[in-house]
Amino acid sequence: MSDYDAVQALYRSLPSFSPIIPVALLPFLALILLASTFVLAFYFSTLPKDTLPIRETAVASTASILGGFGVVALFCTVGVYV
Amino acid sequence: MPIWSSLPFFLLLSVVSTLASSPSFENTAVVRTVELGGAVVHVTTTYAIKALEDGSNVYTIAFSPDERKKTSWLEAKIKGQQNALPIEERLFDAERDYHFVDITLPKALSANKTTNLVVETILTHATHPWPETAGQKDDQALKYTTDLFVLSPYSTTVQRTKLRTLAPRIISFTEPKGVEDFATEGSASKSGATIVYGPFHNLPPSATQKFIKTYQQPMTIHYFHDQPVLEILELKRAVEISHWGANVNTEDEITMHNAGPALKGHFSRLDHQTQQFYKKPAPHVLPAINLHLPAGIRDTYFYDLIGNVSTSRLRVAPSLPKNKQGSQYSLLELRPRYPLLGGWNYTFTLGWNAPAADSISYDKSTGRYIVEVPIMTLFPGAVINDAEVKVILPEGATDVEFSPPFPALENRISTHITYLDTSGRPALTFEYKDLTLKHAQNIYVSYKVSFAAHLKKPFAVATAFFSVFGFALIARRVNLTIHPKKKAL
Repeated sequence: MSDYDAVQALYRSLPSFSPIIPVALLPFLALILLASTFVLAFYFSTLPKDTLPIRETAVASTASILGGFGVVALFCTVGVYV
Repeated sequence: MPIWSSLPFFLLLSVVSTLASSPSFENTAVVRTVELGGAVVHVTTTYAIKALEDGSNVYTIAFSPDERKKTSWLEAKIKGQQNALPIEERLFDAERDYHFVDITLPKALSANKTTNLVVETILTHATHPWPETAGQKDDQALKYTTDLFVLSPYSTTVQRTKLRTLAPRIISFTEPKGVEDFATEGSASKSGATIVYGPFHNLPPSATQKFIKTYQQPMTIHYFHDQPVLEILELKRAVEISHWGANVNTEDEITMHNAGPALKGHFSRLDHQTQQFYKKPAPHVLPAINLHLPAGIRDTYFYDLIGNVSTSRLRVAPSLPKNKQGSQYSLLELRPRYPLLGGWNYTFTLGWNAPAADSISYDKSTGRYIVEVPIMTLFPGAVINDAEVKVILPEGATDVEFSPPFPALENRISTHITYLDTSGRPALTFEYKDLTLKHAQNIYVSYKVSFAAHLKKPFAVATAFFSVFGFALIARRVNLTIHPKKKAL
């Protein structure tokens, strides 16, 4: 049982868990990121249709990444802790 | 803190198949105190031992197979000291009618030195209701059976057994027969809530077939019990850890069973209300129960098959730092949808969220997280027949290690899939049997989650968004207009 006691002592001596992004910020982050995703999606719909869709892909990727983080923040805000 | 489960195979740490040939100890006094409860019986046996040879440091105690089967916790200590002593169970020999457990003393005793050894055991499912059925307003009576003598491979100078009930209402108890050789002053006496068998003098080594056949006999005590006998048939605990939300969600699926006398006749709501109003509740009816939940919890939910159960009151204690968990608790006054009468079951789900900082610690040097998971919610005076604890780690957790306080019946690792998961989360499952209040300890699980694994979730959602954008990219370039009709000539 010394193994158990050793793990318990180690647990007690280490600092507590702290998330990368503080939890209190998540609702605001969700709002900002999802609003930006919405705006960029609208902008995407107004872009000209080039043969090589570089601009469209760039806007789409930015919107997707922002949307990804925004959705995760949204889930945590409403109580589904993913 | 060695504990064993009901199955004897798990603590066979050493195989010593022969008895000690010459007894190296002698018991000067053995006192067994049995605290009778409902589902749980607490037995404390104090051995005052004297060493007969130099260097004796392994003391052996004996159990009958029936008692061994019912024992779900065993701890040996030197009286006055805090540390539990190492115990080892010997291989069971089917020819002999008893189990041996070896206790290693902290310091070897030299000849004629004495010490006091306190062995605490908890027996579960040791009492049964008698009469087996009772009306709604009737009393509740239980029967407990034990063997008269405490078996020992060493000779005993004096021995007694005390049985104590919660309330001083004892109906009957069996009188020992044929023990005149040992009982000079009378073998059984009752005073208030205590029954004393003994004192028995000058017993030979009793862990022998001959002694058991001649003198060992079952003693039954029949007593009134004023509290409901509660058994948790099944406890399924799922602990889900989230790093993004810095949250640990604990959810218990509990099946409560009233193991008192089964209800005779029908349930009268009128009688029940009358009893509650005049504050004269019947002892085997369970209208509500108070539970201690951890401090700092939020979003607690309590629902059953029908839906949310609103008859509960929660008083939350403020959040505690991780090293002080257990010093304060939140109180939940839980009232099931209907009062639990004898033989009735109630199944419900109880869950809560707690901040991750209260249960998880992080080691920056190795990148390891260690999480502390309590095994069970404490139900006062109850035994948990089957428990399953599932620890769901964040997605992408690697190098998973765990330290349970006592070995589980079964360990499994599986994959659990929930919201926004792509590859699933590792889930560790521990299975236990016959848990009591002494088993309410913590499992430590440690794991690593790389930064890239943390980002898996947002990128999974981003990929979904991008697929929609990609579809839009193509859809914009497809012309679906129906060609206008050529003007008629």
